Amino acid sequence: MSDSDDGEVDKVLIASVHDVKYVMSLLRGVQFGSRATVRATSGGLSVTVEEARTLLATAFIFKDIFDEYSYHPEVVPASQGLSSQPSSQPQEEGEPTAFEVPLNTLIECLSVLGNIGGSTSSSKHRLWHTGNSDQEGEQEEGSSNRANSTRNRGPANGRIDQYFAGDKGTGMRLSYVGAGYPLTLLMAEEASGPTATCEVTTFEAEPMLELDFLESPTVLKIILKSSWLRDALSELDPTCEKLTIIGNPPPPPGRASRASGPPRLRLQAVGTFGSTEMDYPSDKEVLETCECEQQVRFSYLFKHIVRASRALQNSTKTSLRINEEGMLSLQLISPTARPRHDGGNTSGFIEFRCLPLDEDP
Amino acid sequence: MRFRANIEHVNTFYKISQAVEKLQKRCIIKFTESEMHIICNNDAGEGGIQVWSQIKVSSLFTDYRIQSNANNEIFLALSAEAMTAALRSAAAPSGQQGAFSADAEVVVRLVKRSDVATLSFEILTTTRMGRGVRIAHDVRIEILKREDVSRLKEPMCPEPEVHILLPPLAKLRTVVERMRPLAADVIGIRANLSGCLQLCAQTDAARVDVSWNGLSNPTMAQDPSTQDPDNSEARDPTTLYGVLVSLKSLQKFLNSHVVSTTTIACICQNHCIIMYVYIGEVAEAGGVLTFYVPAIIE
Repeated sequence: MSDSDDGEVDKVLIASVHDVKYVMSLLRGVQFGSRATVRATSGGLSVTVEEARTLLATAFIFKDIFDEYSYHPEVVPASQGLSSQPSSQPQEEGEPTAFEVPLNTLIECLSVLGNIGGSTSSSKHRLWHTGNSDQEGEQEEGSSNRANSTRNRGPANGRIDQYFAGDKGTGMRLSYVGAGYPLTLLMAEEASGPTATCEVTTFEAEPMLELDFLESPTVLKIILKSSWLRDALSELDPTCEKLTIIGNPPPPPGRASRASGPPRLRLQAVGTFGSTEMDYPSDKEVLETCECEQQVRFSYLFKHIVRASRALQNSTKTSLRINEEGMLSLQLISPTARPRHDGGNTSGFIEFRCLPLDEDP
Repeated sequence: MRFRANIEHVNTFYKISQAVEKLQKRCIIKFTESEMHIICNNDAGEGGIQVWSQIKVSSLFTDYRIQSNANNEIFLALSAEAMTAALRSAAAPSGQQGAFSADAEVVVRLVKRSDVATLSFEILTTTRMGRGVRIAHDVRIEILKREDVSRLKEPMCPEPEVHILLPPLAKLRTVVERMRPLAADVIGIRANLSGCLQLCAQTDAARVDVSWNGLSNPTMAQDPSTQDPDNSEARDPTTLYGVLVSLKSLQKFLNSHVVSTTTIACICQNHCIIMYVYIGEVAEAGGVLTFYVPAIIE
């Protein structure tokens, strides 16, 4: 890293994006806890936050979300001189490069130029309630592009802002030289506006909590619209302590049992002032898919589950799975609605994994 | 001692008053035959920021009459908040809230009511329904004695290293606001002679620099008393000169974004930063609010 040209090559990670909003919305989805572990691989970034060794929230930001993404894992210094080792080292995907950052600070840095409002969720909220969100999203995107045919095309989250503030995406370039170096962010708006350079202190990554969902067989698998889950969580009394998720197998065929049978999915919350039950009927409109062989019943700390609310706001679809051990996996898809011709994977997602409460049977 | 004037540009006066009010509870106003000076000399010790302003009488008032034994000058101290409140009811309605029409006639005069000196704002306007209304605000004032006045001194500053035209204050304000959690109450301001301005903040968690390029460096009239009038030419145009200021003071200054059109910042390295907030266009020279923000010396 003697001079700047070499430094560019040596950097472990370089990623740039012309509008930072989408990345921000993914990061905000896991914004709890003070530190986040960032893992970089050749496929993209993952940002993980852990709470109470029970909850693990990870935002996956795939490399196609970035306009530019290059990852050169640090070569182990020992292999420097030998000719046989270094050739094999970078090829295979070894351990990802991991480091910790203060997540709040990172988010504050990304929004330092000021035009990234957290208010975009309200507009999306309205969209989803009308049903076919994908189509509407595209229409909106199309018209906004026509309205301001400037160079930058913001992702879906910025649509409303584009109408009011013109096309004002904040471009961002992120780079990380390697262990011991800060995470450098370079941000700029339109040509006349200011540019910001931030250096976020990084820390050595601590060993992460291992929650392997596939360790034991899945017993409940549901795909539903995120708004159904988000609305349910927001209805619940925030003082609740415990949230129980109950899944039931499909009712036996026959009209009578269909109406009176148990709901496919029930959320049950118990708090100081009483308990709440919410039932999701067996309807394709509500539960897109629901796989459940026999009754499943697991409880979680409500304060852990409610951490997902913010991420739910920015997502369209949720996959809710529970395995035999009771581990809950919530995968929340956040679409970018950004047109891509090369067919890359442009939708990032956020995954929450949560261990159940131990309960007396 | 007599004083009477019509406030012609109520909105401008109101905005100035707003900017001052956020800075300090009490301010000093000096009326002379040609100018109005608003002075906040930081007696309360709020961050050390001072304001010395001079506004031409013609850019605020018409029908201006002043008379006093002290060279036709009047010095008074009053509550900035009360003055703002008085002007608020005279200012043109903004949006739906204003109950009165815009063409208010506002007269301000010095009045003594039962041995209490007041500055009386009399507002004649009409409601939306077309009925005439008369509003009067009496703002209690304190006439300053000559010895108090003689103690008021504008801060002395060395010749600034850099003069630079600031970007719109509203924009600057958002950035500073956003930098607040990233700064440990101190923000660095740096500028050079080739149009670059930087704001810097640093904590253990992050270091942030926000920079503007392509700003202009106005040529200021040199103070003839300085010994080396051509030393700005000698300076390297890319060297950044900076001061550290308290974030709170900077935010207080940025409250003046309501009134600003053009703002020039002068940096006296490690001493202070002086901001000239022009009221109206610079060419008209309607008035200027001068903010002195002292540097924090590490």
